[in-house]
Amino acid sequence: MNATAVVFNAEFKRRITSRPYLVATVIGALSVILLALLPKLFGSALGPDANHIILVGDPRLTSVAAKLLAKDFTVAARRTALGGTPDSAYLEAHGRVAAVAVLGRDGERLRVLIYARDPSAFGGAFGRDLAPLQIAFSTGMSVADIQRHAVVAVEVRGVGGRFSNASAANAAKGIAYLFIILLYVAILLNAQAIMASVAEEKTSRIAELLVATIDPTQLLTAKVLASAATGVIQLAVWIAAGGAAGGAIVGIFGESSSSSVPLDLGPIALPPGEILTLVAFFLVGFVQYAVLYAAAASLINRTEDLGAVAGPLVAPVVLGFALAQFGVLAPNSAAVAIFSQIPLLAPFVMFARIAVASVPAWQIVLSLVVNLTVAVALAWLSGKIYRVGLLLYGRPPSFAQVMKILRT
Amino acid sequence: MGTLILSNVARSFGDVVAVRDVSFTVPAGATFGLLGPNGAGKTTTMRMILGILVPDGGTVTWDGAPVDYEIRRRFGYLPEERGLYGKLRVREQIAYFGRLHGIIPPDDAKRAAAWIERLGLGAYADRPCAELSKGNQQKVQIACAALHGPELLVLDEPFSGLDPVNAETLLELLRGLQRGGATLILSSHQMWQLEDLCESFGVIAGGTVRAGGTLPELRASWPTRIVEVEPVSDALRDVLDATPGAKRLPQGDRPTLAYEVPSDADTAGLLRRLVAAGDVTRFERVEPSLRDIYLRAIGAAA
Repeated sequence: MNATAVVFNAEFKRRITSRPYLVATVIGALSVILLALLPKLFGSALGPDANHIILVGDPRLTSVAAKLLAKDFTVAARRTALGGTPDSAYLEAHGRVAAVAVLGRDGERLRVLIYARDPSAFGGAFGRDLAPLQIAFSTGMSVADIQRHAVVAVEVRGVGGRFSNASAANAAKGIAYLFIILLYVAILLNAQAIMASVAEEKTSRIAELLVATIDPTQLLTAKVLASAATGVIQLAVWIAAGGAAGGAIVGIFGESSSSSVPLDLGPIALPPGEILTLVAFFLVGFVQYAVLYAAAASLINRTEDLGAVAGPLVAPVVLGFALAQFGVLAPNSAAVAIFSQIPLLAPFVMFARIAVASVPAWQIVLSLVVNLTVAVALAWLSGKIYRVGLLLYGRPPSFAQVMKILRT
Repeated sequence: MGTLILSNVARSFGDVVAVRDVSFTVPAGATFGLLGPNGAGKTTTMRMILGILVPDGGTVTWDGAPVDYEIRRRFGYLPEERGLYGKLRVREQIAYFGRLHGIIPPDDAKRAAAWIERLGLGAYADRPCAELSKGNQQKVQIACAALHGPELLVLDEPFSGLDPVNAETLLELLRGLQRGGATLILSSHQMWQLEDLCESFGVIAGGTVRAGGTLPELRASWPTRIVEVEPVSDALRDVLDATPGAKRLPQGDRPTLAYEVPSDADTAGLLRRLVAAGDVTRFERVEPSLRDIYLRAIGAAA
């Protein structure tokens, strides 16, 4: 059997049966399921109904207002008067409503006073919905006429065919955010696993025994491939867990989760192309980070020093993760387009763009080619450091010494 | 089986010259002892033999060919700094290194089981290596190095850290490998163990070979011999003092007259003159030990 295959098999088995890996995979899957289910659970069972209100005032006024508010709010009850200032107990006692709105007329002005659990949740929509009533008071027109005149025929059409409507676009953003988090966690966890493995072999002096048998580049390749394989499996488990959670939402609540749950994980919402892109950018990003982490680990003499060398390498991961958020919000801005080509950042940013927008194919291909090329170059450079670093004991080398290693 | 030839091998680390110029030959099936003080370049030389380090100059060949990875898989190595995967079980660890050296399953497991039995590690076979004593860990490492029946086995300080019983077990094991035809290269500070095992030696100091050859060859090149005579008497001392080139050695507490004489001195004639001068109860021409040769070669003793 080829020595690379021997190391790959051993590393794969060691990693996939290791407790930290299993724990991270299970916790990750549970987190994804929770992320998918919690909004629904919170929305239906755990908290007050965010759009349930009580209207207080003249019955004629509250009757018209209830009709106007119907598209955004559910009027749980109408009252003519309040016994006092409503408090939390009052709201709880009336079917867990979110607010009490007191309506009144002052000449041509409509007066609205809202007592809300969460004041930030009221204002915009409430004011917009009641605008016809205010206009009716000011102009003397009927509310029905105002509504009829105020209807504007607006049709939104997705450009480029990426999404057919706003709901699908919002769902895609949810998926993008979730997958960016998965990408971030998977890259960080698995790259650090390689780092720990290299550090173990270096500090326990097994490395010398290994490189007497197998070329360090082969050794590094086998370790990266094994860890990438376990990383893909981990991602697959997490995505499957998300898919299962999405399916469960449809099954339990009888509706597509995309309409009410921010993180749509239903099977329909995960096109195979996106999953393939996710895997491709995970692999490219993973290789870039894994070889750097391995090279850094080969330079340390004590596992306690791992943190010191890992610190600087976490920075680009965090930066990529942060930039990906902008990628979701402004996928086609010039800055985001540029970041989606830059190695180490691109795996996050490009994926975010692909998830929410129609990215020109040439940009995706260019990013993959650029990042793949850089991954190979980083693997080559890291291999040189790793080859020397594995047998380097004593004081950790300075930056200048590392540069010297790279020049040899 | 091949012959190992090192020709003018050199290696530096930055400004530090670890190995300046080392040449020696180890014939197929021979056992070679590499001697030298700490920092002499022994480990670097061994690493170059195994291809772990690339020489700056000179060549290392096995059976006439440069040592590549295919050849290296047929070698075995026990480094001075031992290492094991702490969480891996003994059986898995040994089998893994077997596979790395080209032993295909299920043969790896069978051979691992045989070595575990041979080394008396049966009770620990399914325990993580980190739980073993240092001596037992060393046995595991030896099994890892020798499981695949290496053509060349390089052992850097194999006896360090072993108690006398385990050292004897290792000696027996190495003798078994010798009988099996393996070529061995060992370094050790335990001269007697090397003297017992090795057919030829190389003494390295300052990155160069200071002395090399079989023990008889090394002794033959030794310039002096020690002559010990008993009892201590003035008559015998006079004869020894009058011998050309003889140098009296400190007597200490021993009832013995000890003199260093040139290696080509006529010791038979000296014995006749001593017997003529008085009663001689003991006369011995002492050959230099490996330790003497080593110390002289590295310049620590004149």
